[in-house]
Amino acid sequence: MKPDRKDAGLRAALLSYPTALLVFAFVIPMGIMFVSSFYHRTETYYERGFELTHYLRTFDWLYIKAMWTTVKLSTIAATIAVLLAFPFTYFMSGYSRRVQTVILVVVLGVLSLSEVIVAFSWSNALSRPAGISNFFVWLGFMERPASWARGLPAVLIALSYFNLSIAILMLYPHCTRLDPSYVEAARTMGTSPARSMFKVVIPILRKPLIATWIVLFVFTMGAVVTPQWLGRPDQWMLAVHISKQAVELGNIPFASALSIVFLLVTIAMVLVANRFADKS
Amino acid sequence: MSKLLKAAYCSVFLLILMMPLFIVFGVSMNAKKVLFFPPRGVSSKWYSELFLNPQWYEPLITSLAVAVLTGLLALSVALPVAYLLWRYGVFYARALFALGLLPFAFPPVITAMGMLLLWVSTGHTGQIENVVIGHAVFLLALPLTMISLGFESISKEVLEAAETMGANRAQVFRTVVLPIITPFLVSSFAFVFVLSMNEFVISFFVGQSRIVTLPVQIFSSLRGGYSPTIASASVLFIMLSFIAFGLIGIFGNLPKLLGAYERQS
Repeated sequence: MKPDRKDAGLRAALLSYPTALLVFAFVIPMGIMFVSSFYHRTETYYERGFELTHYLRTFDWLYIKAMWTTVKLSTIAATIAVLLAFPFTYFMSGYSRRVQTVILVVVLGVLSLSEVIVAFSWSNALSRPAGISNFFVWLGFMERPASWARGLPAVLIALSYFNLSIAILMLYPHCTRLDPSYVEAARTMGTSPARSMFKVVIPILRKPLIATWIVLFVFTMGAVVTPQWLGRPDQWMLAVHISKQAVELGNIPFASALSIVFLLVTIAMVLVANRFADKS
Repeated sequence: MSKLLKAAYCSVFLLILMMPLFIVFGVSMNAKKVLFFPPRGVSSKWYSELFLNPQWYEPLITSLAVAVLTGLLALSVALPVAYLLWRYGVFYARALFALGLLPFAFPPVITAMGMLLLWVSTGHTGQIENVVIGHAVFLLALPLTMISLGFESISKEVLEAAETMGANRAQVFRTVVLPIITPFLVSSFAFVFVLSMNEFVISFFVGQSRIVTLPVQIFSSLRGGYSPTIASASVLFIMLSFIAFGLIGIFGNLPKLLGAYERQS
């Protein structure tokens, strides 16, 4: 098919609309965010200007600690999720298409749940009147039900839980593409199942496993609701502070500066993780 | 033995995945205004409250409207990009495709912040279309990748055959391309619909307490104390998500859509 001039016109027309939307609703907002981070905050709102006060304020001990918490919690939650979800995905990709479809529906259903709903569910599941501690009491492991709904463990459980379904969906295509003859060959040569997992399957899937970990990491970095509900202020991640500043306190310039710093740290962490993946 | 172990691991895993959902369901059945599991007494009044109390009913309608509009908008943007990328591979389409994936890769709070600033600086605040545009840009990556997957499944021979028979470009698109990619369009609509319905951060930033979606309503009502209505609203949303994906599972090829490899047999 030869592209002609009429064709080029049609193409330009077809693409102008997506371009307009992406420029208007993504490129321009990012630009405004960058510019606003230098604006001057007044008593009531903010006005144009150029100052670095907001960036200097991001180096406040409170925000450095929040950033450290964000990176720490995201690292742990991403790691737990990959460790638990990988064996599941690997086993499940060996089942029949029918079973896989049913499992995928469940996984997608859980994946799409609002962060609000997941946080609410876990705050119930870990609470005294409705929580799993009642189950342990019933089993006889505990004397009386306990409340675990607030604190670091609760935040980590909910964040890791949220990551499980994403991890499954990201690893699933790679697990189904894995040629079973490698494992069969290893097994015929007398390798134990566990050993063939570590010596054959994991090395082959190293790249997708690391890619999944990075996606989970970035995803967890953005958690807003979970740390607020299930955690104490110590566990507030940076996204919580951004949301507080922007929506509740109306400090737009500072929220913009925090967002820019947050974005830069996220990108830096992804680059570091990628470098690490290439080396090892 | 190892087969049994695998099955056991998978079952326990699925059970944990489903556990919070069961607990929320149980909590939503409480007879009094308490959050107990197992529920104390059984009542469906928290479900009727959802449809009778405007405090819950209105956000529910808002959420559904936002989700439908977001689905349509995201699809209408993704379709031309994916089509031109597949048909001509033009550089410009490729660049747009990459740009369209970016918002999904950023932490959502960044996109939310950008959208808030956009609407504040244009003075057009607290409108439903603000939330729709925010969601559509954020979720654009899904229809882009899924529709592209659909285009790639069309073999070049079929297209050539249609052209040799004298069909023009519009006819080829209508009679050959469209029927093949329709399932992909439907599924990506369902994905965007469900994720938009459940999205919280962008709705929270952009809605500015004038456009209140259900997740935002749940979030703000939790400050005013817990009520089983929060649980029944969650259950309704969970059901809607499961129905949407269940339908794709029944009528579509979910494993393929999610990138599973089809072994030639």
